[in-house]
Order: sequence, then structure tokens, then C-alpha cells
Amino acid sequence: MNQTAIACTALLAATPALAQEMLNMPAATAPSPGVAIPRVQARAFLFEDSQWLLEQTLRLEYGIARDLSIAADLPLQQGFFDAPRPTDGDFGLGDLELNLELRILREDLNAIDTVRASVFAGAELPTGTGGFGGDSVDPFAGAVVTAILGRHGFDAAARFTFVTGHGMHHPIFVTDTADDYANIDLGYAYRLYPEEFGEERVGAWYATLELNTAWTTGGEHEVLLSPGLLLEAPTYALELGLQLPISQDLVHAPDLRFGLLLGLRLIF
Amino acid sequence: MPTRQLRARGLAAAALATATLTLGTVLSGCASTPTAPSDRNPSLAAVGDGTLAAGRYDLVVHGMSCPKCISNVDLQLKRIDGVVDPKVDMKHGIVAITVRDGAAPSRAAVAAAITDAGFTLAEIREVPR
Repeated sequence: MNQTAIACTALLAATPALAQEMLNMPAATAPSPGVAIPRVQARAFLFEDSQWLLEQTLRLEYGIARDLSIAADLPLQQGFFDAPRPTDGDFGLGDLELNLELRILREDLNAIDTVRASVFAGAELPTGTGGFGGDSVDPFAGAVVTAILGRHGFDAAARFTFVTGHGMHHPIFVTDTADDYANIDLGYAYRLYPEEFGEERVGAWYATLELNTAWTTGGEHEVLLSPGLLLEAPTYALELGLQLPISQDLVHAPDLRFGLLLGLRLIF
Repeated sequence: MPTRQLRARGLAAAALATATLTLGTVLSGCASTPTAPSDRNPSLAAVGDGTLAAGRYDLVVHGMSCPKCISNVDLQLKRIDGVVDPKVDMKHGIVAITVRDGAAPSRAAVAAAITDAGFTLAEIREVPR
């Protein structure tokens, strides 16, 4: 059974998001100084042999300075797996992830259009409980570029994580090889409504399509196609998404059938 | 994996993370040469010095690409003493504000608020009474 598939899937699921952002990958947007943005994302993954993973991630992002923000992600997980660590609906906290993001480019082209880029770095801390945690501090670093041009939004992100102990991001299915891994994500968002913004405060609907990939140094990989729907209002955002595997080369984990996402973000 | 090797990988990882943020800091610093305050803040450079008298103003703002931008702008502008009732027109990139009687917020404060919100203030237009 390949644990890496689940680990990779969870990795893809735990990346940050904000305003007009994709659902499953980072974006080069950040809260302004003194502003906090909590987000809850609930996910369900179905694997082969009717194995399930349910995950609820609480994320809190805070603007420290004009171009600097910090984020913390804490997942709560419930597993229904046969092996290698059998779970029968057991709950547990996952590893806490801390992420510091620095915006290095902001080019506002006109009223709507903008191009932004950020670098980020952080670590996954071994805070898991009930067998849901890893045993090491795993640092990561990456970069992301976001462009919004009219009704079109584009994102590209890359992240590399060093696994210093045993286990990847997803702690239940620890890999003995402790392979490092990279995430490479591409995303596109199209504003369905309104066609043009006006003077009134209205929510905006976006259709999103992402290509979320994870690659381990051990040669395994997973590529997911992730369509989604995003409703964004001035003070909240709702997310609905699906993740479908289009390529999986996994040795020790069950294949993913699909993943579902329901998310809510608030701005204070 | 041997402990020594794990430790070495941890150190390498920490070094990479530090280098990433350091590089980011350097790059962001290069993007705006640190001389006068107006040079560090493109918004401030565009709107100049001085204060705003009581009245209504239209702020021409670039980069407001989503509904959440409204909240960001609101939050930052409302922190300025004397600035009330900001209204965002995303289509034209205009934020209408009112400066109440007796207040004299600086143009720099308004520019900083827009920049802090994550956008660029291109111009401040006084609305004739």
C-alpha cells in the first residue's frame, strides 16, 4: 500500500489561499497589516478499496507588515484505512504548519489588473496526536506568482519540502524512505459573474481549474486536475471543489479516486 | 536514515528557507530604491505632500481586482482619523471618501492606507462641492 499517494494528496490540500485565489494552491496575495483571515476547509478523499480520509483544516493568516504575512494551518483528520496503520474512524490532530510569506512584486496595471509575486518559507511541526503526526520538523520554501487580467486569473507556484525525519506531510501514512518532495501547481480562474464590476458591492463567482502536482525524490508522483467554484464577497468566500487524479505513479499507497472540498474564508 | 544525515538535511533545509526569504527581501528592496519616503511608496509619490481639507475626494486606485479588495480598503482607510464613509467603485477603480469638518488627514496617510491595503493610489481628485 502506498502511503505517498495520501501524503501527496494531503500536501496538495493544505496549501494556502486568499482573495480571488485558487482552492488548492498558494497565491501571491496577503492580508493587509493588522488584518486576520481565518479559513476552514473540509475535504473528503476516497481511495481504492473504499478507504476514506476526512480532513478539516483551520487556517489563520495575519498581515504583519505591508508585504509580510504569517499563516498557521492546523488539520483535524479522521481516517478509515486498512493499512499500514489501520484506522476505523479515529480522529487526530495533524501537524501544525507555519508559513511566512514575503511579497516581492506588486505591479498594479490599472483599476483591475495586477501582477504579484511572493516567496515563502516555513515548517511543518510534529504536533500531531493519535498517530496523525509526523516525527520531525520539515522545513519548506517556495515561490508563487499571481496575475489578474480582467476576468482571468493565473497562478503558478512551486514549493520544496525537506523531510528531515520519517513521514511526509500526512502523518498517518508515514513513508519509511522519508523522501523530500516538490509541489508544482498551475491555476486558472475565470470570473463568471459579474461581467464587469460596478459601484455596488456584489459577490463574484469564479470557475477555477488547477493542475496540482507532487513529486518525491524517490520517483513517485501524483498529478491532480482540480475544477472548482468560488464565490467571493467583500467579507467572506465560499469554495467548492473536486480533485481528480490524471496521473499517479505510487508504490506504497492506494490510488486516489477523487477528493471533494468545501471551504469558507472570512475577513476581519 | 542516519541521524547525522537527517541533521545535515535539516540544516540544508533551514539554510534554503533563510536564503529564500533573504533573497525575497533583497529583491523587494531593489524594486524600490530606499531614498526619500515618497520613493519607497509609489502611492505617496503620486499624490504628493500636504493634507486634505474637509470635503469629498475620489481616490484613483489601481489593482482592486476582487470583492475582498473592498474590505481591505475599507479597513485601512477607516483607521485614518477624519476619513469617513469610503465607497469603492471597482469598475472605475475609484474610492470615494469624505473628510469630515475639523479633520486634516495627510495625503501621505491616505497613500499609506491604500498601499497597506495592497493597492496603488494613482491620484487624489477633489470633488467639487
